[in-house]
Amino acid sequence: MDNKSGMTIIVKTITRITVPTIILYGCYIIFHGHLTPGGGFAGGVIIALALLNVMIAFGREFTNNWLNINFLEKLESISATLFLVLGILGFLIGTAFLFNFISHGELFRLFSAGTIPILNIIIGIKVAMSLFLVVWVLAGLKLDEGESL
Amino acid sequence: MILYLLCFILLLVGLYGILTKRDLIKIILSASIMGYAANLLLILFAYRNGSIFPILRKGVEAMPMVDPLPQALVLTSIVIELGTTALLVALALKLFQKYKTYDITKIRKLSG
Repeated sequence: MDNKSGMTIIVKTITRITVPTIILYGCYIIFHGHLTPGGGFAGGVIIALALLNVMIAFGREFTNNWLNINFLEKLESISATLFLVLGILGFLIGTAFLFNFISHGELFRLFSAGTIPILNIIIGIKVAMSLFLVVWVLAGLKLDEGESL
Repeated sequence: MILYLLCFILLLVGLYGILTKRDLIKIILSASIMGYAANLLLILFAYRNGSIFPILRKGVEAMPMVDPLPQALVLTSIVIELGTTALLVALALKLFQKYKTYDITKIRKLSG
């Protein structure tokens, strides 16, 4: 790994340690969205900030090689489509859009609440990918090109 | 009542920033402050004295809870604010690419 791009070796080492932990915490927030405060949006923001942490510490070029950006864009679109499919399934099986058609299960269990955890996971993926990609695109703008006054 | 007034003052702070500042980044921050004031007002409408957050917990009796509907509304509002802020930042960066400045008094050319 070259040390040219990104920040100093201290920041890079700390980032290498903390980023998996932050992503794990974001997954925890998403999976417990129907039991504790948090949910798909909060967990997705945490995961996106972990990825942005890598981008700030290592530079944009490293992130392009580390992550498959095309795949992330497709994942974002697929998650939005899945949300719509689940909502229309609720319309077909039940009575209304986003009807909770899976068994609700027992209260306060991890695998309960029907479609809500699935929707939380979908929203988490959507929020994480879109928030990361927005900043990724903005970071790619080259400000030193173009004409001056 | 005084809390609502303070909320309105926060909105006015954002409006003051938008109207008087010359730097594009400061204008974007002021727009965000106006959005925060609106969110805070919605959350304050839902508040009830002595109530807890609207989540059932294991082993805890159901107590008076705050209204969760404005909280869901504010969550949506935060997402929309994120989108508008990203759009404003993108436009500001495009303007910087063109004019090499964030000062709105120096951005004068209308076309080309």
